[in-house]
Amino acid sequence: MQRKGMAVNQLSEQDVKRLERIALQIRKNILRMIKAYGKGHLGGAMSAADIVTALYFQVMRIRPEDPKWKDRDRFVLSAGHKCLVLYAALAERGYFNKDLLDTYGALDSKFPGHPDMHKLPGVETNTGALGHGLSIAGGMALGAKLDGSDVKVYVVMGDGELAEGSNWEAAAACAKYQLENLLVFVDKNELQISGSTKEVMNYDPLPDRWKAFGWAVREIDGHNMREILDVSTQFPFEKGKPSVVIAHTVKSKGFSFAEGKASYHYWKVTPEELAQAERDLAEMERRLQ
Amino acid sequence: MEKFADPRETFAEALLEAAKKDSRIVALSADSSSGSGFSPFKKNFPERHLEFGIMEQGVVGFASGLATMGKIPVVATIATFVTSRPFEMVRNDLGYMKQNVKLVGRCGGITYNDLGPTHHSLEDFAILGTIPGFTLLSPGDPLEIRKATLAMFDHVGPVYMRIGQQPLPFLYEGEYTFQIGKGVTMREGKDLTIVATGTVLQKAIAASDLLKKKGINARVINMHTLKPIDREIIVKAARETGRILTVEENYLRGGLGSLVSQVVSEECPVPVRMIGIDDTFVGTGPYEDLLAKFGLQPEQIVETAIVFLRK
Repeated sequence: MQRKGMAVNQLSEQDVKRLERIALQIRKNILRMIKAYGKGHLGGAMSAADIVTALYFQVMRIRPEDPKWKDRDRFVLSAGHKCLVLYAALAERGYFNKDLLDTYGALDSKFPGHPDMHKLPGVETNTGALGHGLSIAGGMALGAKLDGSDVKVYVVMGDGELAEGSNWEAAAACAKYQLENLLVFVDKNELQISGSTKEVMNYDPLPDRWKAFGWAVREIDGHNMREILDVSTQFPFEKGKPSVVIAHTVKSKGFSFAEGKASYHYWKVTPEELAQAERDLAEMERRLQ
Repeated sequence: MEKFADPRETFAEALLEAAKKDSRIVALSADSSSGSGFSPFKKNFPERHLEFGIMEQGVVGFASGLATMGKIPVVATIATFVTSRPFEMVRNDLGYMKQNVKLVGRCGGITYNDLGPTHHSLEDFAILGTIPGFTLLSPGDPLEIRKATLAMFDHVGPVYMRIGQQPLPFLYEGEYTFQIGKGVTMREGKDLTIVATGTVLQKAIAASDLLKKKGINARVINMHTLKPIDREIIVKAARETGRILTVEENYLRGGLGSLVSQVVSEECPVPVRMIGIDDTFVGTGPYEDLLAKFGLQPEQIVETAIVFLRK
């Protein structure tokens, strides 16, 4: 199965701009869902929005019209509470009717507060409890490797999530099985519910920890589309190793009133903040014109 | 002279038999390969044998991911380490995701007698039974371990099978049909019914044979599947024999006795007595002596049955 030949240096400024505009639309979709329900996990969805956009709109080999296609690349959202960004991307990519986004929070919605693969096409795993995604993704990557398949597996994890010991079990196993087809993004927005990740339970320096577990590591600005594309198309970073990207991000990226504040991990919307959020997105749109 | 077989060797042979027929089967070890009956599989299919070390949480997640890619993973280790230890992974990554993964807990119950409560597993069926869609198998004879193993791989969906450590006697006289969710009547009888499962099925059968000599005909039902439980055979026994005695190597809370009582109380209320392990951490000692501490030897079951019949 051919992949799009897309060396990142061949991507034009226009291609990058296109993805930035989609990332804006993803943020709009996130806001649409939160508006429908009045609350939701905002911070992590917004910090991961640019990464998830790049994956779904440029990097991954997928067929939205055939979501169970055997040779599709897999995306695992280990930090399941960031699901609004996943729903937003799947809707935008055409996995289902976008109007469904307005049912977020409704009784038996297809958009639960954490993703359910049996409810929505395109969702690969039932995450939500933290520290599960990496081992599941490792199993997928290992399965592909055993079959000699060229399927790749992409993961988004939170940085607070790294305090779950099960991640490090999985990290060791991924290295043992030399999963070159696995790319993990740590959405390092530095914040979790209780405050600064450094203070709550420090796992820095992350690059050293991952390296010690046998991974090849890169660090990027997780809101810089070109840097995201760069790492997404150049892995494995080292032969015989799984690859991890420490993506430095800003929690709630895009909403001026919420950026970098742990309290917006879960946002309960006020009318004033909603108006500000809409103004922020309009301003972002103006800048992208 | 009764014929016995090692349950792990029996499982090993059955796994190899299944794996020869189905190349999707992969075996995941948590530093538990030889003790869990993976050795013949590993010898025949080294590329399908995956070692994870002492990693009982991560290995379940890996099994889930492998299942996504079309493999049929089997994870086998000491029963408590594949059930209690990674419970949330089993619940979410296998149960909630409806993955086609097989878990095998060996040395279940108190069959790891001398190693003590950290290595006993008396709650595995109770806790995994709360997971929607999970199938729970508890074979009680070597032939049945083979049949249950093959059935487990034929079944699509998450399955947990528990086997013991001590050699098991052959209890079936000849061939029989093993069907997941269908109990087997091992002894006919009208005076009462003994429903038993797994490692102590043999004790229930021996008790029934002793009762017969005393003129009491105890029906024995082998409940080799704890989920889905065979409601029909239980209700029929309740209706025809009027009393049910359950025998299990589990905690009573959430075990076979609880499940049988639930069915009986809903559909055909009759008196039920339960023999098993009550609310305690079991000590250590010779296996048969430990069973005797909880009234699980045939003579003790006979005694309980006789008292039960008098009431």
